[in-house]
Amino acid sequence: MYIYIYDNFVNQKKYESILAKIETRITDLGLNGKITRLSVMSSLADTIKSELKKGAKTIVVVGDDRTLNKAISVLADFISDNSCFKKIPLGFIPINKKNNTIAEYLGLSYNESACDMLSTRRIKTLDLGLVNDNYFLTQANIRTKNTIIEIDSTYSIEISEPGEISIINLPIIPNLPKNFNINAQDGALDLFIKTKSSKNIFFNKKNSSEQSVFSFKKLNILNKYSPLVLDNTFEVKCPAIIKASDEKINLIVGKKRLF
Amino acid sequence: MFNKDTNENIKEAETVIGPSIKVKGNFHGQGNIIIEGEIEGSVKTDNYLLVGEKSIITANVKAKNAKINGKVTGNIQIDEYLEIGNTAIIIGDINAKILSISKGARLNGKCSMNEQGINIEKK
Repeated sequence: MYIYIYDNFVNQKKYESILAKIETRITDLGLNGKITRLSVMSSLADTIKSELKKGAKTIVVVGDDRTLNKAISVLADFISDNSCFKKIPLGFIPINKKNNTIAEYLGLSYNESACDMLSTRRIKTLDLGLVNDNYFLTQANIRTKNTIIEIDSTYSIEISEPGEISIINLPIIPNLPKNFNINAQDGALDLFIKTKSSKNIFFNKKNSSEQSVFSFKKLNILNKYSPLVLDNTFEVKCPAIIKASDEKINLIVGKKRLF
Repeated sequence: MFNKDTNENIKEAETVIGPSIKVKGNFHGQGNIIIEGEIEGSVKTDNYLLVGEKSIITANVKAKNAKINGKVTGNIQIDEYLEIGNTAIIIGDINAKILSISKGARLNGKCSMNEQGINIEKK
């Protein structure tokens, strides 16, 4: 049985027509199920756990990047305590392009068009990253300023130029070097550091940058001033320990996925 | 032949240390490594190591094959082929099975090409 969980924000009137089209499309495709609308009084975590215990076979969340990140965290956390649910697939219907940066990488269309991907039911088992007790599917990002990184307790990294640090599970960085094989199915995370090139700035070359890549098993990140941002949505304060999670997620993806 | 192989290998670098990066500690990898920044401690890989022109390494180095174009202060143990470029400055002992040194490179240390290798545990 399909369980559709609408995030709280889609209850706004401006989303009514989109939801109506989604429900029509779901009916047309024969994917009918139970619809649950989250509110201030109901949490995604409680809803997912409750529906799984009642026998849900597929969970589909409707919302944005934040909705997907929360759903993945809840599901992964629940699976870690209840391994019998580890094959439950998670579907995602992104509402509009705004605040939906992950959908494209999963090969999903937006609004009612995403229902077709549910119908195809192309399921991929993907790794997850773990920052302290928080899961992420794509990346954890932090600024290089004031950041110190310790890797596998054997060496540390100091960065002298301004830029951004990304701990990558499923890469959503544009212009990632093609010679690095980073994907969410290899059981490992990668550290990607992009800094501005002081030399090139001096010569007024625009968009110049320097890139560094490291593989690691466990990473400790320190920054007193800036938080880590998981999946472009959720902030976690440092110090943080980052590693590949033992839990994996079964995501319904599209044919045009970028991995 | 070798250059062609290494160029192909380096397209699949596992680790790239950029110019604005400083690594402190024991940096051990299994894949190809490109170093353009600074390293203090030790460097070890089972594959190819490329040390860029601007890089500064204060560490003992061990790799299967390597090309050194920057400054290395420490002993270098290479299992197969060591190529020292014309911009390289090496202060330490080196050991390799096959060795090439370009005109202009500076080498201050013992050079050996025997099977036993050198002790890279103590600098």
